[in-house]
Amino acid sequence: MSAAGFSARGPLLAALAMALGLMGCGQQPSARVSLCGPAGQLRVGFVGAEEGRGSTGAVVLPDQDISRLRDLLTVASQCEVMLEPVASPEQAHQRLGASEWDVAFLPPGLAALALESSANRGYSLLRPLGQRSQSRSQLLVRAGSDRRAVADLKGARLGLLPRGSLTGFYLPLYNLHGLSLQSVHYALSYQELLDQLRKGQLDVIAWDAALPDPGGDVRVIVNDPNLIPVGALVLSQPLVAADHQPFLKLLDESAAQLPPSLGYVAGVLPEAQPLQRLRTVVTNVESWTLPLEGRPYAVYGRKQQLKDEGVMR
Amino acid sequence: MKFPVLQGWMVGSGQRPLRKQLAITLSAIFALSILVAVVLLNQLFGLQARDLIDQRSSFFMDAMLAVREYTSKDVNPIVAPLNEGPGGFRPESVPSYSAQTVFAYLKAKPDYREYSYREAALNPTNLRDKADSFETGVIERFRSDPSLTTLAGEKSTPLGPMHFVARPIKITKESCLVCHSTPDRAPASQLLTYGDSSGFGWKLNEIVGAQIVTVPQKAVFEAKDRSLFTTALLFVIAFVAVGLITNGVLNQLILRPMREISRKAEEASVTPATVSFDERNRSDEIGLLARSFERMKQSLAISMQMLKDRQGRS
Repeated sequence: MSAAGFSARGPLLAALAMALGLMGCGQQPSARVSLCGPAGQLRVGFVGAEEGRGSTGAVVLPDQDISRLRDLLTVASQCEVMLEPVASPEQAHQRLGASEWDVAFLPPGLAALALESSANRGYSLLRPLGQRSQSRSQLLVRAGSDRRAVADLKGARLGLLPRGSLTGFYLPLYNLHGLSLQSVHYALSYQELLDQLRKGQLDVIAWDAALPDPGGDVRVIVNDPNLIPVGALVLSQPLVAADHQPFLKLLDESAAQLPPSLGYVAGVLPEAQPLQRLRTVVTNVESWTLPLEGRPYAVYGRKQQLKDEGVMR
Repeated sequence: MKFPVLQGWMVGSGQRPLRKQLAITLSAIFALSILVAVVLLNQLFGLQARDLIDQRSSFFMDAMLAVREYTSKDVNPIVAPLNEGPGGFRPESVPSYSAQTVFAYLKAKPDYREYSYREAALNPTNLRDKADSFETGVIERFRSDPSLTTLAGEKSTPLGPMHFVARPIKITKESCLVCHSTPDRAPASQLLTYGDSSGFGWKLNEIVGAQIVTVPQKAVFEAKDRSLFTTALLFVIAFVAVGLITNGVLNQLILRPMREISRKAEEASVTPATVSFDERNRSDEIGLLARSFERMKQSLAISMQMLKDRQGRS
């Protein structure tokens, strides 16, 4: 090849280099690896740490908190975020069962349920949510009711929170094992259940001991001894296997920007042991045929005893 | 304005071999041509890439409208009665749910991974569909100008700039109001799933939300850059081929005959009788030059012969 040939191709290659350089102008360097779910988005479920506490009409999360949380999660994950605040633990139960969430802010019952899933579809606990309180499952009847013991609840109309709630669904049913009920009814809040109890539409309702005193017109008939642990931020197994530390670090650093009602505790791993204990309850109840709204129900199925179990009445 | 140095470098000042001068000139012309073409094509392909994404976005939205229609007409009448029963709420009866679910399946395919589809509403039943501040602005524009059918542009997000295309969602069917007018008309299972605080108060013919397809600007640039790279590469290949062919033709037609004539002219200056300029039979400029050299050779031979004769007589 002659020298003239080289001199002819040199400027052409320079032109190509210029063209490539020009094309590169519009691109932005990617600063961090993104943490996305298998669908290419980060699907985030939000139930909050306290289930059934608000009134039925209350929103799960205020608009400004939704926007702030979505933006924060987007920055932390570097992925498009599909944030789904849900009012009903039943809906969250379905989402977790179908692995439709990659990250979720869950109350204790759903956190226990998330752990319950099979190894490749389950979730890992990342951070505790909520404040420590004297949260316990209780059953309430009207003060003037003739029902004094669990056995007296046979044939009663029971009010529960939707499936997925520990104090509002799993523990009440677990404690009523062996009874036949006239009907089971659901509400999204304890307050709504209390209203229906007062109106005489229900005979017994699920209640949480951490709630404000319901008043003298009702009394506790069953007091479960299990102290309810706090909720948890959970992450699906595929994302646990990915590098999720930068995501977690940014959430910890931005804990002050998270909704205060969430009770996010930065830099602390949740205690799995109390939740593992309550998993037994969840597992047992989930294995039963579950009650339908307004239908008679016999609380029957395999019941594995908890260690140190004792129901105070 | 004149640039003698540039002009001399480009067209040649006789300081370099002709072949080199031509190579430099051609290279400069080609490089300038490619640069200008790339700059212009960069703009053109940018517009084309955006048009393509807009077309695909429109197709997505039309497809999702069709899914909504199918759900509303064919699925809802079958599934909605189940929601009146004691079981849980079946979202499959909701057009928005089915459209977004179908899109999620579509998005799982690598070709559509960059695309995002939302049916954002000001007051949705599922808070997942709650419009953010940007989406609220888009919906309000549709509400304030009902003749507006599409909006497209750029939006900034924490993930960088995005290109978006949006269309309004208008309530045109009375059947939608069963779940969205007042809580007392809604199925009990819906209230138990979503509560009674959101997704109500909708009115017939009201614009309640927007279909929004978003694509990262990066994807637009990448699509453009792919086209531009291919075109620039083709240009370079074509220009290199033209340069090489020109070089070969120049060598065959001009440089080689000229070198041959030059060699013969040098030989003729010593022994003109042994040299023959065969190129004189050509009818082009090379032939003209060869004929001139042939005449010069003959003149030189005559002069040399006369000089010899004169030296012989003396």
